[in-house]
Amino acid sequence: MKKYKILFAISLIAIGLMSALLASINEKKEEKVQLQEVPKIDKLETKNEEFRKHYPREYDSWKQTKNSDQIEDMLKKYPEYVVLWAGYPFSKDYNAPRGHFYAVEDNRNTLRTGAPVDDKTGPLPSACWTCKSPDVPRIMKKDGDEEYYTGKWAKYGSDIINPIGCVDCHNPETMELQVNRKYLNDALKAEGSKVTLDNATQQDMRSMVCAQCHVEYYFQKTPVKDGKTAAVVTLPWSKGTNVDDIEKYYDEIKFNDWVHPISKTPMIKAQHPEYETWKTGVHAKNNVSCADCHMPYVQEGGVKYTDHKIGSPLEHMDKTCMNCHRTDEKSLLENIKLKKDRKDELQGKAIKQLAAAHLEAGKAWEVGATEEEMKPILTDIRHSQWRWDYAVASHGAFFHAPEETLRTLATSLEKAGNARIQLAKVLAKHGATDFKAPEIADKKQAQEIIGLPFDQLVEEKKKFTNGLMQEWKKDAEKKGIYNPESTKGIETKTAY
Amino acid sequence: MEKNKKIVIYGTILSLFIAAGLFLYTVYASQMLSYLSSDPKACINCHTMNSAYATWEKSSHKDVAKCVDCHLPVGDVVAKYKAKSIDGWNHSVAFTLNTYGNNIHISEDGANRVQANCVRCHSSINDTLKSNTSNYHSTEKGLDSDRKCWECHKYVPHGKVRSLTSTPYNLGIKENLK
Repeated sequence: MKKYKILFAISLIAIGLMSALLASINEKKEEKVQLQEVPKIDKLETKNEEFRKHYPREYDSWKQTKNSDQIEDMLKKYPEYVVLWAGYPFSKDYNAPRGHFYAVEDNRNTLRTGAPVDDKTGPLPSACWTCKSPDVPRIMKKDGDEEYYTGKWAKYGSDIINPIGCVDCHNPETMELQVNRKYLNDALKAEGSKVTLDNATQQDMRSMVCAQCHVEYYFQKTPVKDGKTAAVVTLPWSKGTNVDDIEKYYDEIKFNDWVHPISKTPMIKAQHPEYETWKTGVHAKNNVSCADCHMPYVQEGGVKYTDHKIGSPLEHMDKTCMNCHRTDEKSLLENIKLKKDRKDELQGKAIKQLAAAHLEAGKAWEVGATEEEMKPILTDIRHSQWRWDYAVASHGAFFHAPEETLRTLATSLEKAGNARIQLAKVLAKHGATDFKAPEIADKKQAQEIIGLPFDQLVEEKKKFTNGLMQEWKKDAEKKGIYNPESTKGIETKTAY
Repeated sequence: MEKNKKIVIYGTILSLFIAAGLFLYTVYASQMLSYLSSDPKACINCHTMNSAYATWEKSSHKDVAKCVDCHLPVGDVVAKYKAKSIDGWNHSVAFTLNTYGNNIHISEDGANRVQANCVRCHSSINDTLKSNTSNYHSTEKGLDSDRKCWECHKYVPHGKVRSLTSTPYNLGIKENLK
């Protein structure tokens, strides 16, 4: 009888253990199948939350870009920027970037997009939506590029509503990577790049989808039907992608984003040449893609997936840097900090020089300098500011391409210095030898110097966000392209 | 009392049957028998070995040596199955309990086996090395037998930069997507 009891106990234990083991085996098999599944999703589905049921891990990690919600007012941090961008929307409002989740939110809230009262008013063209939403490729497909790029920003207020998400980078039918905006491939071909979207490998695509947006671009004025002009997003790469090549390109087509109201300089605003600068760095040379560091593979149980919480790779170095580097995290962090300090030092000097140059040029005009005297000076200021901007506008360039960033900043400083030496002569000639440009103390003072009606702008903006913007949301919901649940509980954060 | 006895006996028989059934199912579900073969595909029953498989599949060794030709003792059947059992146990524990990292390393025992197999196949090179020992600067101990072939031949056969995260699309996963 005792034998039976022992046998009974043993077999029960064995059943328990084997059941646990089988559960584990089958769970892992299920995960394996799940990993290779491709559900059918509508081609034009732009509501990101629709992807959640099929790609829960990718979606959830994407949604965590919501955690990157701090507003860092760059104009407050570096008030010289206000003077540098006088007469251009960036002098009104400019924050360090937040997570992808806030792309549309921030685009609507920034003072730069102004306060339209209907679909034909406001300072900016429709092209300003281009990188903000998966709704953009949908509209490009539906209306055609020409129609999309014509008209004001407010024209698409109720159509572009979901922030950067799934179909910006994926083909919803196969979930393979794809680029949905035509201008990138056009630019790659114009540049003569060996890699274009027609022959890109999977590894290339892991950077190309980012290069849809994280690049330098300008709005090319293109005449379209009915005598209208479209502002078409164009990447200025046909002469090459480094700072000198693009400068030459803009000079040749006599392009300027705006004319500086104080110094009268025809200016270029660098956007965010992240891809272009990354290309010159050691990681790119070793074929490390954007996604390798910014979207590392992570494990959840037996499932390995790509982390879609795009942000700083330094937040989880064990999954990013440490996959390749056989050293300790601390020494890498120290190294990165050094790179940043070097960049900060040079960029701090550059903006001081540039702000002074603009103000001195303003004084020179005031005391009667001639066009002829000012022309070479303004060219130097134009090039200097372009170079400074190219080096810092893509916030990560100091790391992606430390050498190129420092070289670019050095040439910026050289040109600003040249401008100021010539300005000293011109000022002396016209009897203003003692002129000293005012020190820039803070954002408020800087905005006063350039005559920016900040309080008025904020007031108008608030009218817009409480009025027209709310209508946009309601209209979008009626059109079935927006689920208010997806943005529920978001706290509006701005720098004003 | 008599009734309880019956319950225990029948219970025991029943649970033994269930245990036996479960055992058969475990054999099936875990593809246990595939591990008796020398087919490299058996090594990728779990995705953990994907990168090892993928790198080997594209290496110069793929036509001349399968996984077992390097990683298990060749010739001695007892040693072979002993190694297979030890590795099998360690691997299944690690996989079940998720205790492995992205960058898996060979055990010391495993490395010694591989080294022995390098020497086994490349015996002529080995002989040349030995006979050239006198030409080396460090001749006191003769040929330094503690060092492994792949300390110099770093890319043979699995490549140098390799981990679970480094070869994601190598096993037709992409084909499956289409």
